[in-house]
Amino acid sequence: MPADDQVLDRINELLDSPDLETTNTSMRIPNALREAAALAVRELGVAPSTTVLTSNALRAALEAVVMQAVLDRHYERYPQTRPALADLAIAAAELDGHPLAGQPELIRRSAGEVQQRHPDASPEDVLLWAEALTSAAA
Amino acid sequence: MSRIILLDNEAVQALGTPGHPKHRRLIAHAQVVARRKARTLPISVAIPTAVRVEAGWDRTNSAWAFVNQLRIADVPLGTKHADAAAAIRKRTGVSVADAHLGAAIQGAESDHVTVITSDPRDMRAAAEGRHIDVVTI
Repeated sequence: MPADDQVLDRINELLDSPDLETTNTSMRIPNALREAAALAVRELGVAPSTTVLTSNALRAALEAVVMQAVLDRHYERYPQTRPALADLAIAAAELDGHPLAGQPELIRRSAGEVQQRHPDASPEDVLLWAEALTSAAA
Repeated sequence: MSRIILLDNEAVQALGTPGHPKHRRLIAHAQVVARRKARTLPISVAIPTAVRVEAGWDRTNSAWAFVNQLRIADVPLGTKHADAAAAIRKRTGVSVADAHLGAAIQGAESDHVTVITSDPRDMRAAAEGRHIDVVTI
């Protein structure tokens, strides 16, 4: 097994661990960030504690990193599986039950038009563009 | 607003098999999930264990290494879900795996549920009225 796979598997294993024991760490957090987190917890109720808020944010970041690393490795091995912007926009619409999910050709056309002007456009940008096209046509 | 995405048998097969005609489409869905996680949006992917059995997805088998790493959680067939699935199966006549999917749909705590499936009719039957977004593959 390549080392990268071992690393990804170990991170996944740790993320899935039921061990909720906490530890004092030597991680240094900027004072202003810590104060902002404390205020958000106390005044906005975003989490039961700053520890939970920090842990949740760190977990989300690590899950995203692992998933993207796994997908990037897959794209290296199978380049033909890498989705285009239009594919991502269609997938996003489908997952959300977006009203335009049933019009993949419109989304593909929109992706092409958006990408010409904004090469770094996101799938959500494409869906907005497609919505604008349908509104203008109505 | 949180969302959980549930996979059926064919969705798992497509995701785990690069040569599958629907593989690229499932990869696009996985990539959208990864992008949303990176934006800390509350989204997750799960599979009822009865569906995993039907699909032959053995987490200890290296053939499933890629899918294993994609952070797809099991929805176990514990007592509560087994009771719910048995009732769904009796009421709707769907398969055991689809009944477990139905129990997972009905018991989901997320605000929104999406099911990726090759059998939308059975999924809607198993959902028994709970609103779901269905992606038909």
